[in-house]
This record gives sequence, structure tokens and C-alpha cells, in this order.
Amino acid sequence: MARALAKYIRPGVKDTPFCPGCGHGILMGLILRAIDDLKMDMKRMLFVSGIGCAAWIPSPHYNGDTLHTLHGRALAFATGAKLFNPDLCVMVVSGDGDLSSIGGNHLIHAARRNIDLKVICANNMIYGMTGGQVASTTPRGSKTSTTGEGNPYHPFDLCKLVEGAGATYVARFSVTQPVSLIQSIKKMLLHKGFSFIEVLSPCPTQFGRRNRLDRPDEMVKDLIRRCILEEEAEGLTEEQRAEKIITGEFLS
Amino acid sequence: MIGIMQVRLSGFGGQGVVLAGLLLGQAGVFDGKYISGSNSYGAQARGSGCKSEVVFSDSPVDFPHLTTADILIAMSQGAYDIYCTDVREESGLILYDQAVVTPREGLTVKHIDLPVTEVSVRRLKSKQAANIVYLGALIESTRIVTTGSIRKAITMHVGERFRSLNLKALRAGMDLGRKVHG
Amino acid sequence: MPSRWAKSPFPKGRYYFSGNEAAAEGAIAAGCRFYSGYPITPSSELMERMAVRLRKVGGIFIQMEDEIASICAVLGASWAGAKAMTATSGPGFSLMQEGIGYAAFTETPCVIVDVQRAGPCTGQATKVGSGDILQARYGSHGDYQVIALSPWSSQEMYDLTLRAFNLSEQYRVPVMVMADEAVGHLRETIEVAPRIEVWDRKKEKGAAPFDIEGQDSVPPMPSFGEGERLSVTGSTHDGYGFRKTDDPEIQARLVGRINRKILDHKRSIIETESHFMEEAEIAVIAYGFTARTGLFVVNRLRKEGKNVGMLRLKTLWPFPDEAVAEAGRKVKKIMVPEMNLGQVAGEVKKYVPCDVISLSQTNGEVIGPEKILETLKKI
Repeated sequence: MARALAKYIRPGVKDTPFCPGCGHGILMGLILRAIDDLKMDMKRMLFVSGIGCAAWIPSPHYNGDTLHTLHGRALAFATGAKLFNPDLCVMVVSGDGDLSSIGGNHLIHAARRNIDLKVICANNMIYGMTGGQVASTTPRGSKTSTTGEGNPYHPFDLCKLVEGAGATYVARFSVTQPVSLIQSIKKMLLHKGFSFIEVLSPCPTQFGRRNRLDRPDEMVKDLIRRCILEEEAEGLTEEQRAEKIITGEFLS
Repeated sequence: MIGIMQVRLSGFGGQGVVLAGLLLGQAGVFDGKYISGSNSYGAQARGSGCKSEVVFSDSPVDFPHLTTADILIAMSQGAYDIYCTDVREESGLILYDQAVVTPREGLTVKHIDLPVTEVSVRRLKSKQAANIVYLGALIESTRIVTTGSIRKAITMHVGERFRSLNLKALRAGMDLGRKVHG
Repeated sequence: MPSRWAKSPFPKGRYYFSGNEAAAEGAIAAGCRFYSGYPITPSSELMERMAVRLRKVGGIFIQMEDEIASICAVLGASWAGAKAMTATSGPGFSLMQEGIGYAAFTETPCVIVDVQRAGPCTGQATKVGSGDILQARYGSHGDYQVIALSPWSSQEMYDLTLRAFNLSEQYRVPVMVMADEAVGHLRETIEVAPRIEVWDRKKEKGAAPFDIEGQDSVPPMPSFGEGERLSVTGSTHDGYGFRKTDDPEIQARLVGRINRKILDHKRSIIETESHFMEEAEIAVIAYGFTARTGLFVVNRLRKEGKNVGMLRLKTLWPFPDEAVAEAGRKVKKIMVPEMNLGQVAGEVKKYVPCDVISLSQTNGEVIGPEKILETLKKI
């Protein structure tokens, strides 16, 4: 991490807890770059997270107020804090399982209320911390520790889900698109209302190993190859499109 | 009034039994009494048999539910049949309307027949006001609460739309009570 | 410790409130400015009144998507500086248990009013019960303490909800008001004092918000946005909120302290009330609505010259062990009437040498005077 960002890290924090090759460390830095670009006052920032690897991105590392909550409930805690003190800039950073599976009901209701919460969902498409179990975001056919024959079910399209529920800023980027992602986080920070960015983040330890992407760099390369912008997808056949991940701003 | 007075208002859901109980209790509080009130709740209060009970006392009420009624208002045959035997023998009182309730033979408790339905329909053009007509008659014949307090209670708890109807119904009930007594 | 006298938001006088309404007024008087909840019979009137009252006093009300979200929003608001509460009944209380554990472990003040109904499960939603007493104490996993109070009247729905906020702020602990359907719907004369004692959480810039050496074991509590750069976590943590999930010493110390800070102060927390306990040979130990029936019967028997007394438990947790033990030394027999299968009777047995007779009733009705009279006469 660049020296200029050290002031955003809580004194006493020495290293990140993430596995080698995990995308969460990149995301951790990109969020701070967006905050630094906008010269946000960290004393007014509250970072709320649930349970899981991604919940450790802000807690306790960021040098603002951090609230590490129960599994799935980050948005409910954040709603209470934001409503009572609207001067707080409340950002929720948590994982796909936390926000969209166990916390799925809170996600759609928070979006429906359009409360001014900035939600970053670090999506590694699997339950990382608990040992690589299938998630509501695991692609169909992918192997996990609970779907040895491949996931038989369709995953959520989280962006469509929150857009349908009433979110007013919606985007999807991968940690392999750092420049666009920083821009998107900045827009989110300036947006008033429920805003949501799905950030694709590789999990080589739990996902890659089981799905023939053994080395961390293979997962990163795979994301680079598959993540395309909406306009790039236009000329593709159905089959070509199926293996791509459409990124970009969907609602702003 | 000495010691404790227990009043049971009964009928079926929609007759305003719960509201009448609330107003009676509130008036009691205005008069400086200690009151414990309870009523049917949930589906009961909406459809089938419905009751509202008010315990009046000069000192804090120990057991807050009704043990034996001193006064029963029975606004339906069903309610009368359930509660008519649970009224204090010598001093008890049952208020009813012959148009809707046929009293049981052999009961020694004092019954007062009040043409509440007729008065509601003829004088007030609303069957809905029967609950307050009963209250007026009860207050006139027992002085259980003061007129000022019950009027204050109606003003406090009844929305503007129905306030004047309820105050009219109270007067009609009191006239009825006076007639029966006088 | 910071306590102050405040003017009651209501003019001094007598009012006619249902228990649920009175609890809402007690909360407003205590300074509650945040409520999140989910509709459930028989507690909903409390939420409806809070929706109206909080708008008037400039607080925040929100109806959440479920009871889990309700308790979690309360905890988020509490850390943002609010005196916050929710109310519910059995099924919702079950859903809130994980949040209650979070509140206990992160020492987050909050008040939960449980208007108990006949369980288990959906049970009889509109009927009375008191089957949540042990759940209040043990409902979440791990070892922790809570405070639970038991009101027996509309007046106490007001008084004890107010006190619940004070205790919660003073000890940084979830406090439960274990009401029941009968008390929640009972409409009674209540008296409001002109001035009320109000406790606020203590603040100390830069102090560790999760650890303390010294007398009261309750650390100061800053709020979000005060520049303290708080780190709050439900994982095991050190004094400044750093996760310490591998450190046996910190785990033992934290669990020890959150239990000790309540148990060490139980004499100031616990309230009981004795009636005719001098020369009593039989004691009724009761709480909640059932204590009304209990005292009614005891009064009557005393007039007949029977040596019967009653101990009423206004605090259920921490359990009034000393008062119960003292009663147990005085009398030959104790009867515990309750609308469950002996949840408090079981506790009483732990502290007394004499016979304890459990009078249980779980039919969705309040225990009437006849039933207690009959059982006492048999003794």
C-alpha cells in the first residue's frame, strides 16, 4: 500500500489478514484511494461489515469508526446508525454470502427504502472463510466443498436484484479494473441514496483450487479476460456472452 | 360508591363495547378513581362475543380483572347468555334492551330494560351509537362517574367526525336513564 | 456515574394508559429517541404509540423487515448515540436472541420489551403466557448476563421501562422488560412524577471503550462520529476493539468482566417487594401479572388469620437469590404460581432449603384467585 494512504489505516494494524492472491486486499486499497481523492473526513465515516473475509476489509483496519456486526446483519445495523445520525457517511463493506444470502432480505429492504448507505459487496462467489461452500453467487456448474458435482443452481445477479428493489446507484466492477472501480466508488460516495457496487474479487484458496484456476495469477487473468463492458458485449453470440461478466455502471 | 365496583360491558364485535369501556374507565380516572380495565382482544374484538371490563376502586386495585360483576350491560343475546349468571345476587344490575335480549326466567338479579335500539335508530339515526346510549343510561342510574368526566373522556378519545354524535347519544342515554328511574 | 434529574415529558398527574402505551411513555421519559420494530401480537400497540410519540419529540422510528433487523438497527443506533429500544413477543424474541448476545458482548445499551404470549411457537398469539423467562437469560449462546424486569401493572410498565433504560445506560447491558399480554393490555390509572432520574452513558475521551480496571467494571462508551475512531466487533476483542480471536487470556477476561459487572452490582439492580412476610409460614413467590392474583389471595387469607406472605420479584435477572434465600429461611413452604412449567420455581429451588411447590398454568389464561387459593389451602 502506498505510503500516502497510511493515515487511513488504524494505528496498531500491522498486516492484512487475507490469503495470498485474494482480491480483497486490492479492494481495501482502492476504497481508500477513492476516499483520499475526495478528501473525505474519516472522523465522519462509519464502516459497517458483517461476517466473513470481506467484512475484515474495513474492520478494524480503516481509521474511522468501524462496526463489525453479525452475519448478514450489516445493513440493519447501518440503517439504525445512519437514521439516528444522518451526518455520518455510512459505508457497508461485506461479502456476497453475508449481504445476499443470509442478509438477502435486509439487502432488498435497504434498497427499497433508498436510505443513504454506500454498499460494496466483495463478491468472490463462494464462502471463503468457512471453507469454500457454495454461495448464492456461485456460477452454475462451479465446484465447491458442498457441490462436488458442480453447482446445480443459478446464481443471483446482484446488480439486477438491488436495482429491481429500488437502489439508485448500481455498478459492477472487478478488482482487475482498478481505475474504473475507484471512479465508481467516488461516484457512490457523492451519491445520495442507496448505492451498491458489486466488486468481483478472486478467491484462489477456495474457488480457484476447485475450479482449475490453481494459481492466483490464473484467477486474475481469468477475471481480466471475462470482465467486459456492456457495449463490448453487444456483438457477442449468446454462447460467447454466457462466459463473460458484464461490468460497468448500470444505474447512476 | 364504596370500595370496589365492577362493570362488564358485553356484546359482539363492532358494537363499540371496547370503546364504551375505555370511556367509562377514562371518566373514572378523571374522577380520581383507581381503574383497571381490560377487554377482548384480537379476533374476538372484531367479530364474535366481545367484552370490556372496568374495575373502579377508591384505592389501588389489587386483582385487576373482574371477579363478579356489579353491573352487566348485555348488548346481545349471546353476551347475555354467557354473563347473566355472573352478576352479584343482591346488589347487582343488568342493563339490556328487550328488542335484542330475552331475559332468562328465574334470575333474581335486578334487570333494567332500556329501549336503546329504538332510541338510537329514531333519535340518533344510528345503531352505532347504542354503546354510548347505554353509557348515558348507566351513568344516570348509578352515578358511577360524573357527567363532566364522561364528556371529557368522549372529547379525548373520540375523533372529531363522531364526537357530536357520541355526545348526543350520551344525552339520549341519560334521558332514558332518568325515565326508567323516575 | 452520570445521573441527572429531568422534567417528565408529561405534566404531573394521573393518566389512563394500557400497559403497552405506558411502556412507550416510560421510554420517551427515559430519553429513548430510536425505535425499530416489527408488528407482533400482543405488543404492537407499543410500537404504534412509539411511531406517534417519536415523531413528536424529534426521534427516529422505523418499522423494519423482521425482528432480526429490528434489534440490529437498535444496536446500530445505540452506537450512533441513541437510547434505543424495540418491543416484541415470543416468536420475535426468539429471532432477536443473536442480537441480544451481540449487545451483551459489545456492551451496547438497549431495551427490549417482551410482551409474552402463550407459546411455544406461534402458540396462542392473543393469549397470555410467561414462557420466555429462561430464554431472556439463556437465549443467546455463550456466557453472558442480562437484566430482566417484571412489571405487574400499567404503572410499572411505565416505571420499569424507564428504569430499564437507566440500568442499560449505567451498566452497558441489554435490559429486558418481561411483560405479558395481560399487563400489556391492562388499562389502569398511572401516576407520573414531575421529575424523573435519568442515567446517561458515561464518556471519556480516548479511554478504552471495552476494558476497564477499577471499581465498576463498566467502561465509558463513545458514539460514532465523535472522532474516537471506534472499532466495535462481536468477536472477542481487546480494550480498543481489536479482534483477538486466538488469545485465551483476553477471551477469559472479557467473558469474566461482562458477567462480573452485572453480578457485582446485583444488590443495586435487584428489586423485590415483601408482603406480610413477618411470621409467614407459607410464602407465595410471584412476578408479573400473576403476582396481582397472588397478593389478592394473600390479602384475603391474612384477613382470615392465615400466616401467608408474598415475595414479589420485580427483577428476574440477575436472579434475586438473596431475597429468595431469606424467604426460604423464614417459611416452611413456598409456592410459585406462574404461566409456564415452573421456570422461576426451578430457580427458587436452587436457593431455599424448604419445599417449593410449583403452580403451573399454560392454558393461555391468567391464573385466577380461585386456583391459587385452592392450592394454598391444600398446603
